Amino acid sequence: MANLFKSFIRSMSFFRKEIVEVIRQPRLILTLVFGPFLILLLFGVGYRNEPRAVRTVFVTDESSELAKQIKENAPTISPQLIYVGTIPDKDPALRRLASGEIDLVIVAPENAYETIRSNQQATFELYHNEIDPAQIGYVEYLGQVVVDEVNRRVLASMAQQGQTEASDIQQKIGDARSKAAAMKDALRSGDIAQARSQQAELRARISDISLAVGASAGLLGGVQQNVGSNSSSSTPEDETLKLLSEIQNSTANTNDLQDGKTSYDTEIQDLEKTENDLADLQNKLTEFQSISPNVLIRPFQSKSISISKVQFTPMDFFTPGVIVLLLQHIAVTIAALSIVRERRSGTMELFRVSPISSAETLVGKYLSYMIFGLFIGAILSLLLAYGLRVPMLGSWQDFSIVIVAVLFASLGIGFIISLSAQTESQAVQLSMIILLLSVFFSGFLLDLRYLLPSVKVVSWALPATYGSVLLQSIMLRGRGLIPLYIFGLVGIGIALMVIAWFLLRYRMRHE
Amino acid sequence: MTEIYTTPQEKVQEPVVSPDLAISVRGLSKMFGDEYAVKNLSFDFPRGKIFGLIGPSGCGKTTTVRMLTGIYTPTEGEARVLGIDPRQFSSNTRERIGYMPQLFVLYPDLSVIENLNFSASLYGIGFIRRRKIIRDLLNFVELDPHKYKLARQISGGMQRRLSLAATLIHEPELVFLDEPTAGIDPVLRNKFWEHFRTLSDSGKTLLITTQYVGEAIYCDIVGVMGQGQMIMLDTPEGLRKRALGGEVVDIQTSTPLEWDVAYQIRQIPFVQKNVEIKPDNTLRVTVDEASTAIPHLLDWFKERNIPVESINEYIPPFDDVFIQIIQESGYGQSI
Repeated sequence: MANLFKSFIRSMSFFRKEIVEVIRQPRLILTLVFGPFLILLLFGVGYRNEPRAVRTVFVTDESSELAKQIKENAPTISPQLIYVGTIPDKDPALRRLASGEIDLVIVAPENAYETIRSNQQATFELYHNEIDPAQIGYVEYLGQVVVDEVNRRVLASMAQQGQTEASDIQQKIGDARSKAAAMKDALRSGDIAQARSQQAELRARISDISLAVGASAGLLGGVQQNVGSNSSSSTPEDETLKLLSEIQNSTANTNDLQDGKTSYDTEIQDLEKTENDLADLQNKLTEFQSISPNVLIRPFQSKSISISKVQFTPMDFFTPGVIVLLLQHIAVTIAALSIVRERRSGTMELFRVSPISSAETLVGKYLSYMIFGLFIGAILSLLLAYGLRVPMLGSWQDFSIVIVAVLFASLGIGFIISLSAQTESQAVQLSMIILLLSVFFSGFLLDLRYLLPSVKVVSWALPATYGSVLLQSIMLRGRGLIPLYIFGLVGIGIALMVIAWFLLRYRMRHE
Repeated sequence: MTEIYTTPQEKVQEPVVSPDLAISVRGLSKMFGDEYAVKNLSFDFPRGKIFGLIGPSGCGKTTTVRMLTGIYTPTEGEARVLGIDPRQFSSNTRERIGYMPQLFVLYPDLSVIENLNFSASLYGIGFIRRRKIIRDLLNFVELDPHKYKLARQISGGMQRRLSLAATLIHEPELVFLDEPTAGIDPVLRNKFWEHFRTLSDSGKTLLITTQYVGEAIYCDIVGVMGQGQMIMLDTPEGLRKRALGGEVVDIQTSTPLEWDVAYQIRQIPFVQKNVEIKPDNTLRVTVDEASTAIPHLLDWFKERNIPVESINEYIPPFDDVFIQIIQESGYGQSI
């Protein structure tokens, strides 16, 4: 019992010493707490969560129809495209690009009409001067948006033209209906000659109508064919085509009128049906005309809706990562410096002569740094939650467990560094390498899904990876602890502590 | 005293384990790479005394202390400290030993009292018990008025005293002090030695290394080291005798000394060969024992009608003794 008490006192020697030493450095505490807080505040205030606008010059023959289209449409193509102007030559545009005056040069295809007629796609060339792969991807994406927009506007123009033509068809249908009515009246009055004349004109009108409607309704038919319909009844476009087919059949079936017949009731019934079909067709075409060309050529659009209760800002998203990264860095650095400093200053000699064991030394240091890290973590988290209003959808208890586990595992890394490094500067450098590794491989900057499975081993060896996933899950999704991750983190911490203990024992015995 | 310690010449295979002995060493050596830092040390040292290890910088004093405290593992040889091999020190044994390193290794950002609290905790001393100990120690090293100052804010001498207090915090039986007086002024050095004597008088055993040869006089036993080896091990008086070949007597006459007086006096049986004529009609004679030789010398001068002004035992400074020892040992070049 007495030995246990002594062991406790010995462990506490570091606990008190480390805490007092840290308290003696109020600037350090202020920096550690308010530094990240201010960085996040600045980030939240200063980060524009919108795509970058790109200053763009178009190169095209100014006399061409395409140039007119570009001049008309370019300023409204995309909010991210700042239309600077159109010039005929590529070289001056590229010089302006190289000097940084503009961000993008889009060279329109020469002889676009001829190229398309020869069954080839006309190409817009995009020139940029970006070096950042992400920005290159963005500029390429923006170029694709421009080309898609040009394509869309061409198609919309064609659709609009089709709808204008549909007005002429309406007229033709009206004529056909009156011819059918006139033929019917002639048959009822027994004027066969007049009926024959009206029949010939009716057939001519129907033929014209079938040509015109076939082209316009084909557009809608294609849409239906590609996307299908979940309705049990057929679509208006489908019905239009069907009606047209029936009218054609009906008029074709109407035999040439024969003289001397006592009754033309069958022909009259056929004509009444044709009249009704034409009326239906007229209604359908009216419906077709009412659809906007933009809807016709781009019938679908997307709208994303998050099932999360809260809409997150970029600052919200990064906050869990920042907390974890900062606490890991603090823990790694103070632990990395602690033992190497003792070794360099000669205090380790005192420990080796004194009855304190490596386990007591390590326990004391773990406890003191954990308390210090928790203090920093608590203040920082409260400032973020209540000062910057970062969402906290989960429980503070789970949050605290993650912080403790992150600190525990990170201290293990720090102590191993401290026991491996020969000098304090080496320890600091190794700590910085851990920070760099964490920035790139913990999912803080880059999504882990972009990494190769073999590289992910590095990610999952870092406490920050587990911590970020867990804190994001707790803070932003409101979920509880994920057992696999929290046990993984604690497991890493225990493994690191055992390694640190072995190393310290060796140092205390043999150095 | 001489029967409980040995010189390297008197080799015994195993260290002696005895309640009277604080340290027993046989053939102790330490090599760094291919070089011996300490070579073949053998000695025994009793409890309750001050053992001074004297020698120039780099002669192996610190390495010896580090082997005896268990910091270094000897390359060869054996040691017993408080009857136990330093490699096998348990927590209990370590609680009986104090160690003050050569440099100040406490925490500069802690106050004097916080450093002492830290040291007390290292030895598992409870919070209540340590309060009196710390108070007494602060008075002992005269740091009580400065106890709330940070260690980095006090002078170098105060830092050494703080180190001493930290070393004594757990009331060790055996204290290793590695050059405790290095770099501090003579007044403070004297004060330190007063402290050491007080500790010794209270029954503690002290092993003190020093570069200051003059400090040998404060020790009960002095080991002179050179190039990693123990050149001589004796009491301060014994060292002096062995270095000079006996005790020294200065005889001052009223009349100028004849040239053959030195020759004639050398013929006396108790007079050693070292006879020297100094200025002011003084003859410096080395004898077996000054107390018995002085009456005989007075008679000898009286018989020859040479008036003697004064006759005294001359105690040469330890610097001279040390130089003599080193020169005779052949390690002179290393100093």
